[in-house]
Amino acid sequence: MGDRGHAEVLLFIPAFNEAETVADVVRAVRAELPEANVLVVSDGSTDGTAHRAHQAGASVASLPFNLGIGAAIQTGYLYALRHGYRFCAHLDADGQHRPEDVRRLLDAVREGRCDLAIGSRYKTPSTDELVAGEGSSHYVPTFLRRMGTALFRQMLSFVTRHRFTDTTSGLRAANRQAIELFASEYAGDYPELESLHSLVRNGLTFEEIPVVMLPRAGGRSKFNPINSAFFIFKGLLVLFVGVLRRREASGPGSGSGP
Amino acid sequence: MSALIAESQPVVNVSSQTRVLAVIVAILFLALILDLVRRRKLQERYTVVWFLAGLALLVLAVVPGVLGWLAERAGISDTNAALFSITLVVAGLLLLNLTVVVSKQAEQITRLSQELAILRSRGEEEEEPADEERVPAP
Repeated sequence: MGDRGHAEVLLFIPAFNEAETVADVVRAVRAELPEANVLVVSDGSTDGTAHRAHQAGASVASLPFNLGIGAAIQTGYLYALRHGYRFCAHLDADGQHRPEDVRRLLDAVREGRCDLAIGSRYKTPSTDELVAGEGSSHYVPTFLRRMGTALFRQMLSFVTRHRFTDTTSGLRAANRQAIELFASEYAGDYPELESLHSLVRNGLTFEEIPVVMLPRAGGRSKFNPINSAFFIFKGLLVLFVGVLRRREASGPGSGSGP
Repeated sequence: MSALIAESQPVVNVSSQTRVLAVIVAILFLALILDLVRRRKLQERYTVVWFLAGLALLVLAVVPGVLGWLAERAGISDTNAALFSITLVVAGLLLLNLTVVVSKQAEQITRLSQELAILRSRGEEEEEPADEERVPAP
């Protein structure tokens, strides 16, 4: 860290070929949260993402090849762990998340309300949280995505016995405990879902905070029907295996406990 | 006793010529594995499954009663068909084993890449990010 001071908050932005938008996102979060260090994890980008991020004043960690969003996010958590940050938050590089929402999520973990704060696009804000003239209605997902997210919401809620409204959110803030957990396990094939499941399994707490999703500032969504179907298959498998793992873990433990 | 059962049933037996051939193939196979280990082309930890496969082939070739008994147990009247079925199952298991090894290595590669990215970022805070992406001036 050296001359960058001893900031206790790391903001990181996983980015795969988001050169068009990443610099604006970096500048926006730096302006909103000047007390934090900003890191862009370039996931094998080939379009100058790392260069733009660096010019905008972010530290850059470049993965040597594309590893997928889970591994990219885990790189951020690992960086936070190695450099001794007490809190971290991550947001998407496409400009869909608002910096002021990042601050609200960070406040939730800094005040000790939870170990992980999740920005939810679907949770309706309570009246005091509702900013005048704005609501969560900005974000209108496609039909297929709505179906998929609804399915996973139900299943995850069933498996963990906690209520989730947004299981695929890429906007989160974590304290040291959650950083340690996610640095060791996050890179699965369905990281958002798997990470929430392991969070609950490890007894950490979370809070969903309603956020506003902006339309993409540039670049393209990496979703299409085929990889969406694959995504759903992986999600189901992850949950199924997760249930088996939990039983396996609680079985001998409950028998041999003192 | 197993040999008696095999003989009493209308089982098509593997001919002695095939058996001799199978023994030779099995011995060559085991020798090949040993040679690969000797030349460090194959790590010892991955030889176990291949050795078991080679030994199984050898046993089946030397003691034909075993194959007849297996075929009988599986309800396959043709011993040759039984041989092929067993081979297919074993090959499938070996492939699965390979996929497990590949998965483990993929996990290790991921972690190595992450460590590399973090180490590299540290030394570069004042320089240009040495990415593979060096942008040409727009």
